[in-house]
Amino acid sequence: MIRSSLNSLGAKVVVAASSDENHPPESIIDGDTKTFWMTTGMFPQEFIIRFADPTNITAVTLDSYNVKHLKVEKNISQKASQFEFVTEKELEQTEGHLQSNAIPLNGSSATHLRFIITSGYDHFVSVHRVSIQN
Amino acid sequence: MVKLRARCLLVGDAAVGKSALSHMFHSDGALFQKNYSMTTGVELLLKCVNIPETNDSVELYIIDSAGKDTLVEACEKMWGELSLLCLVFDLTSEQSFANCSHWMERVRAYCQGCHIPGVLVGNKTDLCARREVQASVAQEWAQSQGLEYHETSAKDKENCDAPLLSLAQAFHSLYRERLETTQNLGPG
Repeated sequence: MIRSSLNSLGAKVVVAASSDENHPPESIIDGDTKTFWMTTGMFPQEFIIRFADPTNITAVTLDSYNVKHLKVEKNISQKASQFEFVTEKELEQTEGHLQSNAIPLNGSSATHLRFIITSGYDHFVSVHRVSIQN
Repeated sequence: MVKLRARCLLVGDAAVGKSALSHMFHSDGALFQKNYSMTTGVELLLKCVNIPETNDSVELYIIDSAGKDTLVEACEKMWGELSLLCLVFDLTSEQSFANCSHWMERVRAYCQGCHIPGVLVGNKTDLCARREVQASVAQEWAQSQGLEYHETSAKDKENCDAPLLSLAQAFHSLYRERLETTQNLGPG
């Protein structure tokens, strides 16, 4: 099965705590692991994805590099506020290749997903792709 | 164009001039505190540094931490996750230079193996008649610790922005390096 990229499904990154114009947050949802969003120093770092409609999500897969601790929050509101905690995970360090982690979200419905990177294995970390399983 | 953010720890013995230096840097040389007032906790100063020949900048969160030994432990709790180190000693005090190795040990233990770029600063070049630490000696030790060495005078406004500019540049190079590594990564 070919999974469509999140942006082709109408999703958007509405908040990102770091900005390098050569590595914009849109790279997270373009379905391509070669493009990435890079954090530009200090933690925590976060980004928020908004879906076009409330979406049932059983799991989310994150392709990243040097992310150590990740928290995921969600809401079912039109606004990117008042999030509720869903899960958190300590990711293993990889060298020379991306971290790829499936994070179960238990089929909950969401309009926004908020990813908070509370720590990293380096000063800078990158997120290459977020994809969802319905 | 990118704006980086770095948390820079400023440490060294009490009264070597850490706060004077950070205020000089922060105010672009407008403010030298004539009266000594010991820092008893941690002071946070924010300063944006442009990286020459680029459109990039580094926002430095300078953590000016008390040097007095009885206060250090309490201050350590407020250091947070560090990106850069600025270690300062007084050129007229051999003891403050000798203690730099203790400061390095403390910072290394705190960072738990994470590499952070750093500079060593010999302050008070204006008091040349009372100098106790020779530049070559300080330079050699700095090199052995992987630090870049600078001499400053906060009072005479001499060279005060050099240490923090070189730290900002080191952080910027680190970012560039990491970008390149990230671009060459294989799939997960």
